[in-house]
Amino acid sequence: MSFTRRDVVKAGAVAAAAAALPFGLAAPAIAQGARPRLVVIGGGPGGATLAKYVARDSQGAVDVTLVEPKERFATCFHSNLYLGDFKGWDEIEHGYERLTQGYGVVHARQAATAIDRAAKTVRLGDGSDLPYDHLVVAPGIDIIYDSVEGYSEEVAETLPHAWLAGPQTQLLKAQLDALEDGAQILMIAPPNPYRCPPGPYERVSMMAHVLKAKGHTRSRIVILDPKPSFSKQALFAAGWQRYYTGMVEWQDPSIHGGIGAVDAASMTVETGFGPYEADLINVIPAQRAGAIAVQAGLADETGFCPILPESMRSAVDENVTVLGDATIAGDMPKSGFSANSQAKVAANAIRATLTGSRQFPARYANTCWSLIADDDAVKVGGRYEPADGKITATETFVSQLDEDDDLRRQTQAENMGWYEGIIADIFA
Amino acid sequence: MRFSIPRLLPPVAALAAAGVLVLSHGARAQGLAGDAEYGAFLAGECVTCHQESGDFDGIPPIVGWPVESFVHAMELYKDGTRENQVMRTIAARYGDEELAALAAYFAALGPGKAENPR
Repeated sequence: MSFTRRDVVKAGAVAAAAAALPFGLAAPAIAQGARPRLVVIGGGPGGATLAKYVARDSQGAVDVTLVEPKERFATCFHSNLYLGDFKGWDEIEHGYERLTQGYGVVHARQAATAIDRAAKTVRLGDGSDLPYDHLVVAPGIDIIYDSVEGYSEEVAETLPHAWLAGPQTQLLKAQLDALEDGAQILMIAPPNPYRCPPGPYERVSMMAHVLKAKGHTRSRIVILDPKPSFSKQALFAAGWQRYYTGMVEWQDPSIHGGIGAVDAASMTVETGFGPYEADLINVIPAQRAGAIAVQAGLADETGFCPILPESMRSAVDENVTVLGDATIAGDMPKSGFSANSQAKVAANAIRATLTGSRQFPARYANTCWSLIADDDAVKVGGRYEPADGKITATETFVSQLDEDDDLRRQTQAENMGWYEGIIADIFA
Repeated sequence: MRFSIPRLLPPVAALAAAGVLVLSHGARAQGLAGDAEYGAFLAGECVTCHQESGDFDGIPPIVGWPVESFVHAMELYKDGTRENQVMRTIAARYGDEELAALAAYFAALGPGKAENPR
């Protein structure tokens, strides 16, 4: 059969009409077959932002499927504010309705169990295979439970890590709220690299805030850190001294002498200087890229995924893009802001590949705000561009120790405003 | 608390809108015709914090500003007159072409404006 010019024009018109249909309506098969297929694994700030931007900006020209088992997504960012009673749980959980109804993203509510990069398919939890022309892998981190002796997924039900927002966060909150005055809290901080560099120390601030607000000034929080230093250290140390005097103690390896086994039955952590007992133990182990990325051969010996800094494309497969905490993103920290920023660069590059739209030079940004006490927040951030084969910082900044109360208050207002902004950018 | 209509109009924008501000910065950026598609891409960097809807939740809205006000405000961050660390860092990497593209993009958004030009 040969196509006349009129047939081709008609087919084009059908495709155009299909693209203009309200999303969610079944488009004619002829249009569906013509559309390149983008599959996105993971509905966090990286994956959901990418799905939205490609679906919206391609105006239906790309078939976008988001593979995410959860119906609603709890953000790790600001989950410390939930611990600190600054936010309710409902304020950090968000649904995908706008992505599906507003932009035509198909939400496959299943886990991705395997990737066949040769066949270009993703195996779903129900055993079916989803074919793709381009794949985005944004699985976030997995916890390496056995990086802390005696720790496991089961032990985490008693000694929460709360580093994946969800039931773990709510468990830690319940344990925190049940403590009596004079309670001892132990946190085992993670080794580099890990999700949200200032996160453990903001969490300690928020736990101290809750204790202080209840008058539990005899309570104490000890941080056992495998690192000799940490993000915004001087700012946190000054804040703890000012607001939580005598309540927070940070110990580096020269003080604790090494972190040994945890034991949930006796509520102890072994160290180089003997056992520490506590009423609440928050264990934040080492981390790696989500298992699906590791299994697909996208990660290297570090446990994270190398990418091309111009596009966030996988360094090992040109048909795959990796985003967010799972990547080796050069100077960018593992943060929700970073993942969202990377997703917008990647969305532009993927549309260029799939639809021939214009591609612009990559530019990335990040800011991490941390709340230390009521109306006292600090921030660290920067801008980044591809250089020397990696994502490289071009400018950076960090809050200063001598800032006045008014500036700290403004920084907290900015923190709260940023959250609403990035949530609108990802989910609305 | 959420405001649909920008409650805090930045002073510089108000002055520029009233035509009383003598603009010494960004003259070249203001003379350029903004590349809307480039502006839409660059705007991705802004809308992580500044909501495209114009909603105000602690970070000032930037939609619907006159082009000259937008460029002027960015120049004030570039030269350090305005102090916010995030904005200084963001503005530092924008040249005239980028500022013109961004200003054109955001000027076309906001209350009473046409549909999102994307």
